[in-house]
Amino acid sequence: MKPLSGVLWLPPLMSFVLITGLIECSIILMDLPAYLAPRPSAVALALFIHAEELLKATRHTGIAAITGLGMSAILGALLAITLASHPLIRRAFYPYAVFFQTVPIIAIAPMLVIWFGYGQGAVVAASFIVSVSPIIANTLTGLLSTDPALLDLFRIAKASRLDTLFKLRIPGAIPHFLTGLRIASGLAVIGAIVGEFVADSYEDGGGIGTAVEIALKEQRTDLVFAAVLMSSLLGLLIFWLVSGLNQLSLKYWHLGEFKDS
Amino acid sequence: MKDLRLLKIIGLGMLMLILSACKGSPDDPPAEGAFKADIQLDWVPEPEFGGYYAARDSGLFSQEHLEVHLKPGGPGVPTLQLIESGQVTFGITTADNLLIARDRGADLVALFALYQTFPAGIMVHAERGLHGLEDVFKEGTLAMEPGTPTFKFLEKRFGFHHIHVVPYTNNLSPFLHDPQLAQQCYVTAEPIAARRAGASPFVFPISDAGYNPYSGILVTKREVLIKHKDEVRRLIRAIKAGWTAYLKDPTSANQAMHQLNPTMDEATFEASSKIQAPLIVGSPGTPIGQMTLERWQTLSGQLVELGLIQPSDPQSAFEPSE
Repeated sequence: MKPLSGVLWLPPLMSFVLITGLIECSIILMDLPAYLAPRPSAVALALFIHAEELLKATRHTGIAAITGLGMSAILGALLAITLASHPLIRRAFYPYAVFFQTVPIIAIAPMLVIWFGYGQGAVVAASFIVSVSPIIANTLTGLLSTDPALLDLFRIAKASRLDTLFKLRIPGAIPHFLTGLRIASGLAVIGAIVGEFVADSYEDGGGIGTAVEIALKEQRTDLVFAAVLMSSLLGLLIFWLVSGLNQLSLKYWHLGEFKDS
Repeated sequence: MKDLRLLKIIGLGMLMLILSACKGSPDDPPAEGAFKADIQLDWVPEPEFGGYYAARDSGLFSQEHLEVHLKPGGPGVPTLQLIESGQVTFGITTADNLLIARDRGADLVALFALYQTFPAGIMVHAERGLHGLEDVFKEGTLAMEPGTPTFKFLEKRFGFHHIHVVPYTNNLSPFLHDPQLAQQCYVTAEPIAARRAGASPFVFPISDAGYNPYSGILVTKREVLIKHKDEVRRLIRAIKAGWTAYLKDPTSANQAMHQLNPTMDEATFEASSKIQAPLIVGSPGTPIGQMTLERWQTLSGQLVELGLIQPSDPQSAFEPSE
């Protein structure tokens, strides 16, 4: 593994250089003005000049996204366990869990604001609403796809329902839960940014959503893309954190899958 | 057999009726060789575009041998980018956005300015008993889109230290819910809706604070102006005639716009067109759509002061009308 690690970042770096180079050249060749398509170099410059504000905004959004994701993880998992407990409960409530996936934040923005107030509360709520669905769906699949042979084994051993849940079904569902969490990590960032569009408080400068909106209004496309880049980096960072968690937990329960990641 | 044929004929007749009904949209009939022009509106059909619909429906465009297509906009429609990239020929925006776009390198020109007075304002609850715009910035919450020139102007002029500034999402619920909340508005829109929802709104116009950009301006690329000088002249003539007609009697144009924007009811259309009339007419003797270099210079100076643009002469930002 060790000697390979140096090469690991090389392919993405090469593709990055290649793609940005291509974009830069085509913008120059086609003579596109900055307000239609900013050059990657202009974006990099904006990133450099506005580094301090952008980092602050990213931290602002990051805190909201991680909190929202954390809430999604906890509440999503609990909801999935509840749904898995009985087919009747599942039939009664699962459709409403899917509902979360389709809520356009802009439509419920006034309600978010009135319930949670302007600021991080409403932003976290938006992040939660957008990111909870994949966690519920994946965890539920995991809980319901326990190996029937193992279930039989637990039954033979006269294990209680709780024992079966905690020692068999939940451990078995963890890879599914983590897959859900990985999908949700990007969504949590998107949810937080959309939440900021509708409910951010500008007191400390606001988050990435606010930064994007201001840059759009000022017709600074370079700055818009710089902010977008920061949100992508934030998404990537959260994704890595979740992947780290993934490896850590799979090491205990699923040695086989660990080898691959 | 005969019955079947009769049925077929009736069916065909109905189909043709439906088809002709579909075709009967109030767009100008495309005249042979007429100059084709799209006008990108920056919002859904509302009285602020009344004169355009009046011109279209009373055939003023076709009289000038023009084939004009009005394209309704909505939140976030990138009007200036659409014009600059050539996807539409003309569009409607505000003077401050035009100067910023020009500063970023877009060679766009204003041809016609609808509102002599900026229709934007800050709406508060009348119960607060505020005496002036400065009182809005002493306490409470202000809901406003960040980053707009108006936002920056107010921030610089009054400071946002004592108030809580939050986003505005074109929805009145937060205002109706919180008696200490003030919000941005167009004097022609939100106050009417707030009053209908049972609130008693009071509006401080932004123009009273000294920020008064032309708005509802018609913009095109310089190269269009150079290439089609005569067509542009005819277009402006038709638009002016359309607005003159609309100001006299907005009823039929309002009905046409209500068809396109049914969420806004007819009473609101009527109220809104009444409120906007004095903002369009301006001081007595002002020709409709007029722009003066002096006002463009004032605005340019203000935007420089706000750090939004580099100093430049706005002489070439607009085409004085005849």
